[in-house]
Amino acid sequence: MRTLRLRAGLNPDFASPPLAAGVSEVVTEEVAVLPPHGAKLHITPLVTEGERVHAGAPVACLRHAPAVCLVAPIGGQVARIDLAPGRILNEIVLFRDTGSDGEDVERHDLSIAQTTAGLRRLLQGAGVWPWIGRRPFGGMPGVDEVPAAILVTASDTRPFAPDPQLVLEGRHEAFARGLEALTRLTDGPVLVSWPDGLPTPRIMRVEDRIAWLATGPRHPQASPGICLHGAFPAALDAPVWDLHAEDVAHLGDFLKTGRLPMTRHVRIAGDALTEARLVRTTAGADVRQLIQGAVAPGPHSVMAGGLLGRRRARWLAPRDRQVTVIPRAEPRARPHWLVGALTASAFPRPIIPTAALTQAFAAALPAVPFLRALGAGDEEAAMRLGLLSLLEEDVALVDYVLGAGGDLQRQLRALLDRIETENAA
Amino acid sequence: MTRGLWTRETVAALTLAALMPLAVFWLWTNGLAGLVNLIFAVIIIGIWHLVFMLVRAQPPSLSALITGLAIAMLAPEELGVFRLALGISFGVVMGELVFGGWGRNVVNPATVALAFLGFGFPAAPWPGFDAPIAWAAIPAAALGATLGIMPLALLLSAAAVAAGALMLGFLPEPVLFAAGIGLVLLVADPVTSAATGLGRVLNGTLYALFVVFFAAGWSGAAAVQITVASALLASLAAPLLDDIAIQLWVSRRRRRHGRT
Repeated sequence: MRTLRLRAGLNPDFASPPLAAGVSEVVTEEVAVLPPHGAKLHITPLVTEGERVHAGAPVACLRHAPAVCLVAPIGGQVARIDLAPGRILNEIVLFRDTGSDGEDVERHDLSIAQTTAGLRRLLQGAGVWPWIGRRPFGGMPGVDEVPAAILVTASDTRPFAPDPQLVLEGRHEAFARGLEALTRLTDGPVLVSWPDGLPTPRIMRVEDRIAWLATGPRHPQASPGICLHGAFPAALDAPVWDLHAEDVAHLGDFLKTGRLPMTRHVRIAGDALTEARLVRTTAGADVRQLIQGAVAPGPHSVMAGGLLGRRRARWLAPRDRQVTVIPRAEPRARPHWLVGALTASAFPRPIIPTAALTQAFAAALPAVPFLRALGAGDEEAAMRLGLLSLLEEDVALVDYVLGAGGDLQRQLRALLDRIETENAA
Repeated sequence: MTRGLWTRETVAALTLAALMPLAVFWLWTNGLAGLVNLIFAVIIIGIWHLVFMLVRAQPPSLSALITGLAIAMLAPEELGVFRLALGISFGVVMGELVFGGWGRNVVNPATVALAFLGFGFPAAPWPGFDAPIAWAAIPAAALGATLGIMPLALLLSAAAVAAGALMLGFLPEPVLFAAGIGLVLLVADPVTSAATGLGRVLNGTLYALFVVFFAAGWSGAAAVQITVASALLASLAAPLLDDIAIQLWVSRRRRRHGRT
């Protein structure tokens, strides 16, 4: 087992009521099919409004890569297909069919999974593709992309993240089967971030292809970008995929039964709740129904994907595993112009190098030169320091610690977008 | 809590808090004269911050007090109001404000002001420091390092070199006292010192080596003069040291991963 020698990190203390015992099952009345966060998908709808679909049935495919499908997480009726100009997917909303509870699940023919190309085709058609993240630049992997490595996140240090180990309980066999399948998608290693000190499950056939990365308990030690930065940096010609451990276990089940499980564990936490919960629901679940009955009175804002990301959402995106509800601050009255001049500025305040900053990067890279490169828009320096392995979620803690209000995440995204455009041409 | 604390002004306020032991001991020793100097320096710096706020929309910073304290403690004596104001203005404007304010500056404004005064008016006598004030630099450094606002690697490496030089007899006591105070006030500034681990070690070492070198070879120089010159040279070298550290880091990663 390889240990990432990261000792630094911070676990900011956020208020939340204690977690209720047990896992409750919630299937929401409305469910949406969404693009993965940050991806812009041109799609061809395969269903019409009002049509009935069963769980796992494709509802849309990519316009330029029809093999990649988006599937219905539950059986039901298509309520609304919302497309932006250019047939870019906003959301496809489904109403749940109360009649058929988990009976009709799309069944796939596993015989094509013998070959690597067949396995890819199977996963793309079954709707696994949107669950996969990629670096550099983020988004969904291309239809023909072969990753240089795959990272499976079986530890999660984000505040209020559901523990992947809890999710994997009793599913180690399926997890191992999923890992075996992943080794066939890449020529490189399959890296698994695993909490330091826990015994790893035995993988029989492909033991040598799997590298276990022991991660510590502090954020962002298990953040995918920081793990990759230490173990296998992504590059323009070496994309790296990442996948959550629960999805890998689903993959294992899928390759046994031909039915892809659509459930996911979601932790609901935050200061505006009366009780925090761990629920098992489906991808694309209606966040409002998930938090129903647990919200304290008063204005609040609901965020999917964690507190540090600060992304307000109505639906769970394909890779979201957290819902955070915090009290909404009243908009403050405009300060006097002189007070405004003394306290605010048009351009962001400079960053002062402190130990807190180094800790927020888990001391994995030279924090100050990296942030200076980000702020100056210096692509070359930022890439040299490891920009291509990172996404917004990896610098979210830095953003929080510095009180920058999302500036760093925006700078990182702008620089990544620019590099992507330049290299696409 | 929806956002973290480590903004520029928090760091400035914490730095001020860390420097309190030093400031209190110095004020206690120097009495009213010291206080007048401090208030004068802060007023001049404050005026320039105000000018840059109104003209360039640059928000002022609490760091004005840190700069003011460093200048009041280390500036040459018997300069008179006009020359002191000129030196402070030059340091603060050319050393800090034209770059965009504290956090974007390349050299410490107090170092620039002191170097300007030292080279511009060489006849003015430099202040000397007694043991109690120099001792107060130690809790200040400890506080700064514990809070994470002063680079620990820099403080330790400078202290290690100083200890070695002291044992070999290369470092006279007055120079040690002034250099210790200069280390806390001028060199361990988080903005203008080196920003990488190795760079900080080199930066501290370089500062201490400059001090030892000047103490041995610069005849007739006052202790504070040696400190200011060393601090200026060490902070000018900081970007180079950072670059060396980053090159080493990048080449190590290249060897391990084949890319960065």
